[in-house]
Amino acid sequence: MTLSQQFLAAATLTFVSAVVQALLALKSGAWKQGRMQLVLMTLGFALQTGFIYLRGQEVGQCPMKSLSDILVFIAWSIVLLYFLVGSGYRLSLLGLFTSPLVSIMQIMALVGGFAPYKPKGQVNSLIELHAAVALIAYAAFALACITGVMYLVQERMLKRHKIGGLFYQLPPIQGLAGAIQRLVRLGLLLLSISLGISFALHTPVSNPKLIFSWVVWALYALITVLMWKHVTSPRRTAWLAVIGFILPFISLWIVTHA
Amino acid sequence: MPEPTANRSGLVCVGLNYKTTPVEVRERLAFPEAQVPQAVQQVRGLPGFEESVVLSTCNRVELYAAHSLPSGDHGHAALRDYLVTHFKLQPEHAEALVLYNLDSAEAARHLFRVVSGLDSMVLGETEIFGQVKAAYKVALDTGTTSRALNKLFQQAFTVGKKVRNETTIQRGSTSVGSVAVDLAEKVHDLKECRVMLVGAGEMSRTCAQSLLSRGAKSVIVSNRSYDKAVELASEMKGTALKFEEWESVLHEVDVIISSTSAPHFVIKPEQIEQVMRKRRWNPLLLIDIAVPRDVDPAVNEIEGVYLYDIDALQAIADDGRRERERQLVACERIIEEQLEKYGFLQSPGSTQHGFVTS
Repeated sequence: MTLSQQFLAAATLTFVSAVVQALLALKSGAWKQGRMQLVLMTLGFALQTGFIYLRGQEVGQCPMKSLSDILVFIAWSIVLLYFLVGSGYRLSLLGLFTSPLVSIMQIMALVGGFAPYKPKGQVNSLIELHAAVALIAYAAFALACITGVMYLVQERMLKRHKIGGLFYQLPPIQGLAGAIQRLVRLGLLLLSISLGISFALHTPVSNPKLIFSWVVWALYALITVLMWKHVTSPRRTAWLAVIGFILPFISLWIVTHA
Repeated sequence: MPEPTANRSGLVCVGLNYKTTPVEVRERLAFPEAQVPQAVQQVRGLPGFEESVVLSTCNRVELYAAHSLPSGDHGHAALRDYLVTHFKLQPEHAEALVLYNLDSAEAARHLFRVVSGLDSMVLGETEIFGQVKAAYKVALDTGTTSRALNKLFQQAFTVGKKVRNETTIQRGSTSVGSVAVDLAEKVHDLKECRVMLVGAGEMSRTCAQSLLSRGAKSVIVSNRSYDKAVELASEMKGTALKFEEWESVLHEVDVIISSTSAPHFVIKPEQIEQVMRKRRWNPLLLIDIAVPRDVDPAVNEIEGVYLYDIDALQAIADDGRRERERQLVACERIIEEQLEKYGFLQSPGSTQHGFVTS
């Protein structure tokens, strides 16, 4: 195991610890928006950042060429957004939903392995920017997906009168509905910027990576319009944010294998 | 560690609360807020007394003091006499007065339980923490506390925080009013929340007042008797509405509390479906505390609408109470651990705990 992979394994263990800590606390009924969650998320993020830096040194470019690298980069972006978007939403609880997703993505990356690769010719910083912004956009969609799950959980508890431990920790559903909208809009904006950059790259339109990115863009543009026009209820919007994320997730395979 | 050669202060607590004394007696023995500074000075001025704190709330009156009297019994008797004299109790009332007299570890344990909300009428309530803090601050500002009581009260605040942080004693709602607030908070941001009362029953009033006290934005009252609606609205600084007009503003409110005496459903699914379209899916909480019910249960099937009737609210409040009772053992364990840690449970000869004055 290389040093970079040791960093990633340590980061994954940290996020798994965050999951276990939250679940144990929930089970005991004493779940609080704890400092421990924040400490674990911060430590995990630092280790992820260490991995990306070391991996970048190994491959001589921003590590986004293999599926495993992309998974880690998105996981890193999710945690980054968790800190950036989080402060306004009592989002230490988002850790409960974020850390399992990040753990799964990183375990998949570790199992998949990290094949060595080298840049073909000189590294084009515009291509790297295009890819990085697209991946952060996907992270925003992933967070919208997580927030959608939170909305559906809270909505179900309210409808069924199941007022339990988690109920008291989740934000108001109106706030969650607003968060989904903001995250989808943020992701759409970032993806638009990324696709805008692609025009400057003179990439052929037939490139399957680009076509799939446009499909993802179209999906989230549609969700945004539906939300903007109030065509669908927040519950359906939450479902769209959850199920819709499958598409960008599939696109990762296409992007890495095309 | 060298043994301090010091005189040891005794600690006493004398008090009455909602368990020992009915409200008609408690209200006569309560210290008005403005008189508390004078009271703490009077207690400290009693012969043999060195420090004092007076806690006076609607549910309890307690005198905490550090003294150098020969025994706790002397302290208890002096404080009892002070209360009788201060409130000018007739001999028959003085004789009937039931007080609890606590010493050292018992007094500390009692204060720790009070601060943690374990001795409150509503188990685990948090208001008492602030009330004890305020009482201590008055004594501190007046200069009637010194090392012993400063240390005791600081320890009590630490214990109170520990109990609340490490257990869920304050979680959950234990009354219908607080359940209504909790539900409203999980649907909307309360600061933006507009409430409408359809019917002006006592329970609606309680729920609306709970919501307003927690920051709800505004309240509209609609009642068959318009005069009663006006009266209640003015009491809550809200707006009164004629009963035939309440439907016209349904789409503008976020929480509806219904308590009419109608023998049939007053709020029906078709009305709410129209309202939800106008609200652009903004969620709506309906609290139906009428018996027979005012709101057709089918309303709960509409997306974005959350309906709770009186049984549902009561069941949640009962769960909340049970959950708090389950936490009681853990809370008491923490308090005992802290009493041990601070040296209150050590043998009388020990000088480890805080009641040592140099």
